[in-house]
Amino acid sequence: MLSLGRSGPRVAAAVIPPRRLRCTRNDTASAAHSFGVPRYDVVVIGGGHAGTEAASAAARLGAQTLLLTHKIDTIGQMSCNPSFGGIGKGHLMKEVDALDGLCARICDQSGVHYKVLNKRKGPAVWGFRAQIDRNLYKENMQKEILQTPCLTVCEASVEDLLLTEPEAEHPGKCCVSGVILGDGRRVHAGSVILTTGTFLRGVILIGLEMHPAGRMGDQPSIGLAQTLEKLGFTVGRLKTGTPPRLLKDSIDFSGLARQEADNPPVPFSFLNEVVWIKPEHQMSCYQTHTNPKVEQLIRDNLHLNNHVRETTRGPRYCPSLESKVLRFPNRVHQLWLEPEGLDSEVIYPQGMSLTLPSEIQEQLITHIRGLEKAKIVQPGYGVQYDFLDPRQLFASLESRLVQRLFFAGQINGTTGYEEAAAQGIIAGINAGLRVKGKPPFIVSRTEGYIGVLIDDLTTLGTDEPYRMFTSRVEFRMSLRPDNADSRLTFRGYSEAGCVSQKRYDQASRMNTMLEEGIEALKAIELSSTKWARLIPEAAISTNRSSSCSALDILQYQEVNLEILARAIPEPLKKFAEWRQLAQRLKIEAVYKQPVSIQKVEIEEVRRDEALQLPEDLDYFAINASLSQEVREKLDSHRPHTIGAVSRIPGITPAAVVNLLRFVKVSRQRAEGMSNLSRTDSPLPDADLLGQRKIQIAAQNVFKQSH
Amino acid sequence: MWRAGAGGRRLARGARAACRLYSQTATRDTIFALSSGQGKCGVAVIRTSGPASGVAVLRLTGTKELPQPRSAALRRICDPKSSEMLDRGLVLWFPGPGSFTGEDVAEFHVHGGPAVVSGILTALGSLPQVRLAVPGEFAKRAFQNGKLDLTEAEGLGDLIHAETEGQRRQALRQMGGELGQLYRRWSDALTKALAHVEAYIDFSEDDNIEEGVLSQVDTTVEILEEELRVHLQDGRRGERLRDGVQVVIAGPTNAGKSSLLNHLCRKPAAIVSPVAGTTRDVVEAALNIGGFPVVLSDTAGLRDTNDAIEKEGVSRARERVGNADLILAVLDAAEMAQQPSRLAFSLQGILPPTRSDGAQPCLLVLNKSDLLGVQNQEGLLQACARLGLPPACLLSCKTGEGLPNFLSTFKEQLGHMCGNPLLGSPSPTQVRHRVSLTKCLEALGRFGRHRDLDLALAAEELRQARRLLGQLTGQVGAEEILTLIFKDFCIGK
Repeated sequence: MLSLGRSGPRVAAAVIPPRRLRCTRNDTASAAHSFGVPRYDVVVIGGGHAGTEAASAAARLGAQTLLLTHKIDTIGQMSCNPSFGGIGKGHLMKEVDALDGLCARICDQSGVHYKVLNKRKGPAVWGFRAQIDRNLYKENMQKEILQTPCLTVCEASVEDLLLTEPEAEHPGKCCVSGVILGDGRRVHAGSVILTTGTFLRGVILIGLEMHPAGRMGDQPSIGLAQTLEKLGFTVGRLKTGTPPRLLKDSIDFSGLARQEADNPPVPFSFLNEVVWIKPEHQMSCYQTHTNPKVEQLIRDNLHLNNHVRETTRGPRYCPSLESKVLRFPNRVHQLWLEPEGLDSEVIYPQGMSLTLPSEIQEQLITHIRGLEKAKIVQPGYGVQYDFLDPRQLFASLESRLVQRLFFAGQINGTTGYEEAAAQGIIAGINAGLRVKGKPPFIVSRTEGYIGVLIDDLTTLGTDEPYRMFTSRVEFRMSLRPDNADSRLTFRGYSEAGCVSQKRYDQASRMNTMLEEGIEALKAIELSSTKWARLIPEAAISTNRSSSCSALDILQYQEVNLEILARAIPEPLKKFAEWRQLAQRLKIEAVYKQPVSIQKVEIEEVRRDEALQLPEDLDYFAINASLSQEVREKLDSHRPHTIGAVSRIPGITPAAVVNLLRFVKVSRQRAEGMSNLSRTDSPLPDADLLGQRKIQIAAQNVFKQSH
Repeated sequence: MWRAGAGGRRLARGARAACRLYSQTATRDTIFALSSGQGKCGVAVIRTSGPASGVAVLRLTGTKELPQPRSAALRRICDPKSSEMLDRGLVLWFPGPGSFTGEDVAEFHVHGGPAVVSGILTALGSLPQVRLAVPGEFAKRAFQNGKLDLTEAEGLGDLIHAETEGQRRQALRQMGGELGQLYRRWSDALTKALAHVEAYIDFSEDDNIEEGVLSQVDTTVEILEEELRVHLQDGRRGERLRDGVQVVIAGPTNAGKSSLLNHLCRKPAAIVSPVAGTTRDVVEAALNIGGFPVVLSDTAGLRDTNDAIEKEGVSRARERVGNADLILAVLDAAEMAQQPSRLAFSLQGILPPTRSDGAQPCLLVLNKSDLLGVQNQEGLLQACARLGLPPACLLSCKTGEGLPNFLSTFKEQLGHMCGNPLLGSPSPTQVRHRVSLTKCLEALGRFGRHRDLDLALAAEELRQARRLLGQLTGQVGAEEILTLIFKDFCIGK
């Protein structure tokens, strides 16, 4: 991988006959061959972070799944930075894990440096992150994928899609029924998931040179790109970049600031109490900086840099060193030197994406402290690629144009392994549910970062590679890394069927104890003077005359469950003994107030999300007093629900009310809500006749408009 | 262990616990708003919807029982905190689901004056779990509960458009450029502060975002808090409505100041006599003039005197005049008619030196018109107009001539100062602003408390403050915050 192998017009790896690498007993029945054409429930194209999660999730649902990849050896490849997680991204991983996804567990088996970021800023924004050994990750991921029941993996390129007439009951102009492989052979499928990353018309840029390629050494998918365009998908272009890789032995770390890993390392997965590596065996990262000489060199060579000069949108938050220097001149920029693995000879300089010609890259690094004698093993490069406007997708990640065709990952305009994995698991679940004829599994933005990610993409679209930040999340106090399992595991188990019994039982046990713990803490009520005597560690104010509960006392910064249990062993001892439980109880106590406020707001949003707009509403034809400007906005954003309408910038409250009459109320949502609130007559108690009238009228409007 | 019906999946107790933990039933807020339209209205309708509507009725009417459902009941409506009576009006109680929104709804039909309306809105806003409705919220609740048919939705959309969008823009216009600019400046400062806190949360670990960013935010928040506090205390119009407009009757001795006071009070509040210098101290009377609360002060006649008591009276009169919201400058019409050129000079003798915040509003009252012929009367008024003096009224406290005309000029002037109930309804807008700004200030205070312990919690308070300010100036989305972040910081990871 490290050599600069030319990716010429070499034909895709020859297709071997669909190789059943590992199957369960019952999958031969449904993966039937009709007239020699194999048939699967779900076909996943691409073996990256979205593809692996998608394939594994579909298989966990029991769908016969085929994963198609150029090379089995590249499954689970980390093609950019050697780390997983971070602030916002770690939240996504916890949620993927809560749905029994792979990446968090694989990271717990493959990390070399675990660190929780934002440790001093409050548990709602803790960022779980780890430096990962690339080879271990790939190895562990391949082992996992190749051992998954119901999942078949096959090396093949995909040239085209098989299409049939659309199903009448769903919107869309046609329906996908399979794929055509590079050698012309066909595979039939109930649903198809495209997770081709940057491979659609991917172009690699180094200096003024351009190579068509998805990733260094791998060929791009051109046939598929043409097909998508012919079908009428709107495609945009984005760019990203990767830094040069450096030879570890050629770097002088002695003068650089060292960043140590956490001891003890904190695992990502709810299933794990410890990670695979011993704390003392963890590796370190090092910090260095740019300087005026580096800046000057970049300025002097701008004419040799096609990638930076072009107008394609790159990310604002992961810019190349060139763009950083140009946008924020006369500053020192941080660079992190990160290990690529335990046995790796390579160092990844985070923050040093470069697309200058390789000779100049070599010259540039010698100006940087610690890298004076460093050798480049692979130069940095830029990638430009096609992405699909994600507003063409439903929240299930199925496309609006082509039924049963799902998209996940970087192809939808996102960046990052975690964002890809999050979409992958949702696409995999929904592709499986679609085949089973079940309603889609949607995570709302009130339930998880996954929901925010997908809602932002499918409602607002993006014009730069989309990355998760905690600042995008309205209900940050409620959607925390610690409670991802309470939010998603039970839904994943009962509605999607993507969660194993083991995980379900474990999460149930934790939640029973959490609730018991909260009740126990609430039940202990003492006067503040008594509390102050019992817990001298905390500055408990004694001027309040009313008594307060142990849950209130737990809110004090200095108090934790251990201290409380020392003062009142019965019944608190058993809660303090389970470390994770004790920590979660503390967090629940600290966020009790803001979470209860957010609950009211969350419920408002959920009500708005239960009001769904018809998928094919013609906003220019409907008879409602809406301005042309509002109509245009609605047409381009195609909101799914009234909630989404109100998030579109520039939409007035009056327009929202005018749209109410085109709303259909989702039964399923309505039932979900009745469990939430029975007290104040929500949707289920509603006048159903009135709703029917509205739906009929709305249908009449469509008939007129067609 | 609990089992679902046939075919249902087993849900362990922990799973149900999770449902409770994560999505515990939250009682829905109760919302309220002025529901009657704008423009001239004798009756204003204030509506509430939500579970606390019943409590609101009980608290505001001070009774223990709700009125008969769906029938009008005449009730005293009082401020639940001070028990002060705000108005007598009709109260209607519509228990859900048989109501407009499907929830418990209450309506207060009260007199349309701004003091009454703003008083009731403020009283409702002080109840727990009761808040001002956002535009379109009543309609949305009605729709969610299946209570709205097609034509209603359409009509309501237009109504809400007229009331909310129009109102918001109009309110910003009415606030005058200055106030609008002030709110926008606060909004920009707060948005930027929030962006910096968000940047510190999302990027500080890997990127060049120093803790210095946070101390900048602290400074911004402190300044904002101080400015908001001063602004809320200085809401002159609001205070005038609450405490009454300070109107001071001033003028030379024996011009008929006390007679004017007595006329306005319709009772002899002050001793009147033909002897100059009868009134030696300030005489006060609280009045309701055209729906506006007024505190009327009669002062000693302004003249040089050697009498120690009268001297003190004159100095108190001058002090009172200096602090007045409105001055009624009373002059002897007969005296002025002889020398119209002395008008300006005499007025100068009454009015205090111009204050830094501009000249005080003043009405010129020319008393004793009964002593003048018709021709002289007209000549005098023309002279006033020619000299560019404040609005002048010719009247006679003795015969009552010209008093109705004076009263209508007086009311008009009060309307200018307090917000005129006949022009839109600025006072509910002001209540809305006041509520939002007060809550914004509270949130900023909590930011400081959480700042060092849990930055996520502190940021939540800033988000809340920004949302509240956004109700006055327009919302800001996450994308705009991110744009600010990337403009100010080089995020490199």
